[in-house]
Amino acid sequence: MPGTDRETDLSERTEAFLAELKRSGGGAGPLRGSGETARETVALLRKITAQARWSNAGELMEIVRKEGRRMTAAQPSETTVGNMVRRVLKIIREEYARSRGSSEEADQQESLHKLLTSGGLSEDNFRQHFAPLKGNVIEAVNELLTELDGTTENIAMQALEHIHSNEVIMTIGRSRTVEAFLKAACKRKFHVIVAECAPFCQGHEMATSLSEANIETTVIPDAAIFAVMSRVNKVIIGTQTVLANGGLRAVNGTHTLALAAKHHSTPLIVCAPMFKLSPQFPNEEDTFHKFVSPQEVLPFTEGEILSEVNVHCPVFDYVPPELITLFISNIGGNAPSYIYRLMSELYHPEDHEL
Amino acid sequence: FTAVVAIKWLTDGEEEQPLQAVLVADSFNRRFFPISKDQPRALLPLANVAMIDYTLEFLTSTGVQETFVFCCWMSNKIKEHLLKSKWCRPTSPNVVRIITSDLYRSLGDVLRDVDAKALVRSDFILVYGDVVSNIDVTQALQEHRQRRKAEKNISVMTMIFKQSSPGHKSRCEEDDIIVAMDSKTKRVLHYQRTQGLKKLQFPMNIFHSVSDEFEIRYDLLDCHISICSPQVAELFTDNFDYQTRNDFVRGILVNEEILGNQIHLYVTMDGYGARVSNLLMYDAVSSDMVRRWIYPLTPEANFTDRKGQECTHSRHNVYRGAGVSLGHGSHMAENVLIGRDTSIGANCHISNSVIGSNCTIGDNVVLDRAYVWNGVHIASGAVIRQSVLCDGVKVKERVTLNRQCVLAYNVVVGPDISLPEGTVVSMHHPDEEDEEDEDEFLSDGADNSSNQAKTKLKAFSAAEVGAEGKGYIWRPVKQDDTEDDELVQCLWGETSSCITTGVYAVFQTEVLGTLQRGMEENISCDNLVLEINSLKYAYNITLKEVMQVLMRVVLEFPFQQQGPQLAAVQYCALLLRLLKKWAPVFRNYVKRAPDQMDCLESLEEFFLEHETHWGAMVKVLMELYQLDILEEELIMRWFSDGVTSAKSRQLRKNPGLLKFIQWLEEAEDESSEEDGQ
Repeated sequence: MPGTDRETDLSERTEAFLAELKRSGGGAGPLRGSGETARETVALLRKITAQARWSNAGELMEIVRKEGRRMTAAQPSETTVGNMVRRVLKIIREEYARSRGSSEEADQQESLHKLLTSGGLSEDNFRQHFAPLKGNVIEAVNELLTELDGTTENIAMQALEHIHSNEVIMTIGRSRTVEAFLKAACKRKFHVIVAECAPFCQGHEMATSLSEANIETTVIPDAAIFAVMSRVNKVIIGTQTVLANGGLRAVNGTHTLALAAKHHSTPLIVCAPMFKLSPQFPNEEDTFHKFVSPQEVLPFTEGEILSEVNVHCPVFDYVPPELITLFISNIGGNAPSYIYRLMSELYHPEDHEL
Repeated sequence: FTAVVAIKWLTDGEEEQPLQAVLVADSFNRRFFPISKDQPRALLPLANVAMIDYTLEFLTSTGVQETFVFCCWMSNKIKEHLLKSKWCRPTSPNVVRIITSDLYRSLGDVLRDVDAKALVRSDFILVYGDVVSNIDVTQALQEHRQRRKAEKNISVMTMIFKQSSPGHKSRCEEDDIIVAMDSKTKRVLHYQRTQGLKKLQFPMNIFHSVSDEFEIRYDLLDCHISICSPQVAELFTDNFDYQTRNDFVRGILVNEEILGNQIHLYVTMDGYGARVSNLLMYDAVSSDMVRRWIYPLTPEANFTDRKGQECTHSRHNVYRGAGVSLGHGSHMAENVLIGRDTSIGANCHISNSVIGSNCTIGDNVVLDRAYVWNGVHIASGAVIRQSVLCDGVKVKERVTLNRQCVLAYNVVVGPDISLPEGTVVSMHHPDEEDEEDEDEFLSDGADNSSNQAKTKLKAFSAAEVGAEGKGYIWRPVKQDDTEDDELVQCLWGETSSCITTGVYAVFQTEVLGTLQRGMEENISCDNLVLEINSLKYAYNITLKEVMQVLMRVVLEFPFQQQGPQLAAVQYCALLLRLLKKWAPVFRNYVKRAPDQMDCLESLEEFFLEHETHWGAMVKVLMELYQLDILEEELIMRWFSDGVTSAKSRQLRKNPGLLKFIQWLEEAEDESSEEDGQ
């Protein structure tokens, strides 16, 4: 039967993706590229939409939600996956509303009165069957994929507005977005100081890559961040996740950097594509942190001392929103206080909990 | 562009074969007895997950697509477990095939079966079912394949090691090895287990080979993961005496010139790999797991994808499953893993422990380095340190378990009892063992105790396990102190007394057997020499060692026959008769001056261990002198030069010996005078 064949193929692909998610991030974690993960997630969801058995939007949403829960559980620190699931759910809602003839986006959260009376926009509304829904959803998901493909360029395009000649810019670790952002400005002459970001020292790779693009680059140890900060004009960093309150979950050491920048009143710019925006709040759950093998901090070869001490190697820092000056995303620059608005544009409030 | 295409074409052509693995889900020893009497070792939980799941996860994540699981002991349970697991789901990227047989007695048998059934088509990974690892073997596999391509299948095996300095707690002392290798090609030149050895010897010829850079390394931890070429299985078939991988490695290295096979090694710096070969390793690997050394294999990852295995990770490496309840004032200090639906009472202090699911723990309990499996009840006031409590154990009020206690399945202890260090309690009576078959675990000592124990069989001793206790102490202390230590340490893996200490010891017992048979069947000395010679080749023993072993065996022979309480006089009489009988054998081996010195040294060594029999020594020397095995000159030289310790100096002050030496001197003078005339 071709139907079952297709379904086993689908579940095989899902399993493979889950397994990959679980094993990803051995060590440096975010370096696998959230962009890639986002694209893979959306591609998989598109496949699910195309191949799974569903007859109306409600069923499809239930399937997507179920798979989404499994995917987020596989690697809780990779919030991109959950974000993409929410985006697809939102697409399904919109397409359903469009098929029905009403414009869902317009009347969503319009007034307090509406919020109170609508009371749990129940899924009964999604039970109606529309033949073209599948095609419309897939088309909209394809648009989302195109948007994802262009995020890094869209961010990099804004570089010249922010980086001026003879500026000294500090960054930490390695972020693909920041790398592209800085390289996009390389026709101007400026100086980049890279904090190495021990113990994984992704900063070294970043510095090599930047100097290959003829950008004047200096690597400093993390301990020197404060000392060097007085010379810095701007701090430009990447992040792993943008949280719902406008804070960040970024690579370890970012909080130090942000505090030093605040002390010297240096502007802190965060380059983050929109798919990193997550409806999660800080300290919401235990999965906020991610601890990896202590190998990099104290190598296994040390011998006896390892049985005497506990070594921890956390990967992420929380940076509160008041330390951040500006977010640069693929849709332009925004202040941290505006994040809530972006959040409501991107995700449906009912999808915050998958 | 063309180059890329060419490479792609090449790899497509050669790597069509899916990567295969052979997983041996049996340890072929009884180190985990009595725990493994109820559950095979591969299914014992480590950090609440069966060990075989770690091994399969390791194989799957490293890209293995087909795994053959070989089971012997309790194969049904392993099969059942695997069929329920995610590995046997149709979507699993790693196809698991289970092969069971009761006939497997060693790794050698398994690999011979692999060869007989022609299961492997290309290079495969060989692991045991109790290996916990997150090493990515892709790199090693690539090196292995390149070597095989470059040198026409000369390299048959790549062993994977992890760098870890001596003293690391995850280094298993039994597995301590010293390796000599070629730095450039990573070829293994010499491989030796170091446990219990004080002296190490390297054959000179390994340093004469082509390369000019060598490394002798003692900082390697054997991960028990090896990449084997299909030839390995064939070689096991050809050499039916290979039982373990150790035999194989030694065999290949020794016969390297003949067969032209080589073994290489791969040292990983950042991966983790260890085999849970005893309870100390169990302790070490569990604690490494909880301390996240094996990331991304962590308790909260729930890689087995089982319902109810989820847990959360919070500060100080505290992991909690769903439905865990913690009483008021209880403190989970650090490195604690608690399974689903376990409830803990008030004012407990728990550190460095793993607790399974559905356990009940009372108030004021102290747990440190405790490994509590599923469904265990621990009543209030218990104190448990570095112990293992298997499924269904009940610990009553105010029980103290000191270090290295083991409570096997469904045992009940207490109340108000303190188990001494190293107590092993099981629902199986230790004597059941004897009836099944004899093994090294219960050596001769057990026979004495079994008669006494049988009288009270099936009655639990309240003094041992408490008034409400259920279970038998394995090896009661009062009967045989030393044996008891031995058992526990075996389980915990501190001494080697119950495993074979190497070829040398085997050879010694073989020689002893030959001589005994020679004695009983009255075999002529020429035939004895022939037999010993063939043994020498079989075990690859040098002539010098043969001599030492022979001397030792003959000297111990009377003890073997009559028991160790033999008095000096009788011993002497028996021995002299033997020496006369076997003089031709000695003459065959003891020819040149160095041989005689060796002979004397081993003689001295033996008598240093048997102080009471020093009187016999003179007689032995006299006899050997008269049988023309030893020359007077060399006896003199040994007497004057061979002093190595205070005790050997003392030996030389023995009046009998002095008299003999004096007599020798006079005899020499006479003979020299005669010569002069």
